[in-house]
Amino acid sequence: MKRSPGRAGAAGGAGSPGGLYAAPSLFWLTVFFLAPLAIIVAYSFLTPGPRGGVEWKPTLDAYRAIANPSFARVTLNTIVVAIGATAVTMLIAVPCGYYMARSSRQTLLLMLVMIPFWTNFLIRIYAWIAILGNEGFLNDLLIATGLARQSVRFLYNRGAVMLVLVYTYLPYAILPLYSTIDKFDFSLLEAARDLGASKLGAINKVLLPNIKGGILTAFLFTFIPIFGAYAVPLLVGGTDSYMLGNLIADELTKSRDWPLASAISLVITLVTTMGVLLLLRANGTSVLGGSGDGEKPVPEASSAAAYGAQAIGGSR
Amino acid sequence: MNKRIVSAALAAVAALSLSSCGGKAEKLYLFNWMYYIPEDVIEDFTKETGIQVVVDAYASNEEMYNKIVAGGSGYDIVVPSGDYVSIMIAEGLLEPIDKALVPNLANVDPAAIARIGFDKGNRYSVPFMMAAAGVSVNKTRVSGYEHSWSVFDRADLKGRMTMLDDMREVLGAALKSLGYSVNDPDPAHVEEARLVVERWKPNLVKFDAESFSKGFAAGEFWVVQGYAENVFIEYPEDRRGEVDFFFPKEGTPMYMDSFCVMKGAKNAAQAHKFIDYMLRPDIAARVSDYLMLPSPNVPGRLLMKVKPNYSFDDLANSEFKEDLGQETLKLYNDAWRRIRVGN
Repeated sequence: MKRSPGRAGAAGGAGSPGGLYAAPSLFWLTVFFLAPLAIIVAYSFLTPGPRGGVEWKPTLDAYRAIANPSFARVTLNTIVVAIGATAVTMLIAVPCGYYMARSSRQTLLLMLVMIPFWTNFLIRIYAWIAILGNEGFLNDLLIATGLARQSVRFLYNRGAVMLVLVYTYLPYAILPLYSTIDKFDFSLLEAARDLGASKLGAINKVLLPNIKGGILTAFLFTFIPIFGAYAVPLLVGGTDSYMLGNLIADELTKSRDWPLASAISLVITLVTTMGVLLLLRANGTSVLGGSGDGEKPVPEASSAAAYGAQAIGGSR
Repeated sequence: MNKRIVSAALAAVAALSLSSCGGKAEKLYLFNWMYYIPEDVIEDFTKETGIQVVVDAYASNEEMYNKIVAGGSGYDIVVPSGDYVSIMIAEGLLEPIDKALVPNLANVDPAAIARIGFDKGNRYSVPFMMAAAGVSVNKTRVSGYEHSWSVFDRADLKGRMTMLDDMREVLGAALKSLGYSVNDPDPAHVEEARLVVERWKPNLVKFDAESFSKGFAAGEFWVVQGYAENVFIEYPEDRRGEVDFFFPKEGTPMYMDSFCVMKGAKNAAQAHKFIDYMLRPDIAARVSDYLMLPSPNVPGRLLMKVKPNYSFDDLANSEFKEDLGQETLKLYNDAWRRIRVGN
């Protein structure tokens, strides 16, 4: 992003090959993102057809229906689940990424993170059902060891939904974090320590700011898909775990109210877009490039020195 | 109905690979419920007639209908339930059946045909299977219950019961438990039914149409609302005696799945041939044996080797789900949405 003005300037005179380079991604974005989005926006303002589809009569009915408090409840539930599951994912993913980056057996650990992808997503959900069920593996173990006298119900509630979501999206958080931390120059931590920062202080003020990009990428990679989760709440959720994704599917296929489904989809898109924009604004523009090669060691070093100095100033 | 995409895909592949006859083989495109017709029955049809059958499968009427409306053309036969037969007739999506080409229609039980309201006189549809969702109870875990919808009021079974994730089935059950029709258009009655479901809801683990039969077979759930064929196909064969499958005495919503020929079908002649084949007594018996369901095919019943899990007499109080029409559908949708999202 930072480089683009310079490039455009240089290329401007030479018949702008930049536009040519951008053509494939522009085409991709238009056909598979902007056009569908436009259809969704248009549908959300139309009248539902008698048996699915839409009639070309503009109305705000779908948005009136969304104003209904029951939608607020589902949205709230979705936000709670998404934030909770993302937070837990991050808490596990940061130390994992750190350990992997520091380990001498990186390839092996990377393989281990990837292995779950070899098995179909739905089969892995069913595996959780087999583990957590009332007659499942975990309950058998608890009863056999005398830790529980009756089987405990782990499944079909919000906790189960969050657990399986965390499990599903953990690799998506670990991988960007690992790649960012792997590029981090750990001698900076020693430098911070030399300058008087405590161990935790060095991590807080030197490591975390430098892997900020990776953390945010990991956050977005987990939060956005979890916010639109459908299969997990459907299979391991109970009567109280209904999420926006399920609502959209039901409106589309069962109630056959396409405008309403479109309007809810737009709400999801808006919430996630706003979240992303806020995060980007709060963290400067380098965020998404953080896991790439955009950052040079020089600013890192200078920021480490600055943080080190700050740490000294703060602690003495 | 069952939803297993993998096996459906396998069935489709198997059907495709059957093209043994050289030259221009006759073809037939069948859009059918998953797990509804055993593969060997279709293979035998190809052996007998040389007509190659390409199977595509769906898991719900809504899925089938949405695909057709969204432009999924090229199918010759679809197998909608009654309410969707009337919708598709109204939308002009079906071709009239040429009864002269389906002599085996005479095999279908006149008593079953008499109950049909969605296509009186069967101008567009040929009855295939008639069934209903019922209640299955694991007798080793639950006792002292009545064959009634009131079983879902039992708080002592809280966390061990599921109902279908299906608006018509659940609201239909509640309406029947109140003595109303499963197609009742009266808003006050629908509201009453909603309150009944709200009363059941705290005792239910979930509304589930996908995996309840697995959970029931695993002993996780003890009382489930669902289709007999799903419950029994999943349940270990040697322990099927533990299952009490019944239709609550107040009545249930029921359905008739029928063969229909799509408007403008390219292979209409082959389609009629296939429908007639499916109504042949020996074939009807094989299908019913596979599903362990009673057959609407009268001579077919005598050829069945498996005892069906219920008889049509049990469905005496049941009622076909009809198309509700736009206004009433909205009423049901709103009630169901309130139940699902928790007010």
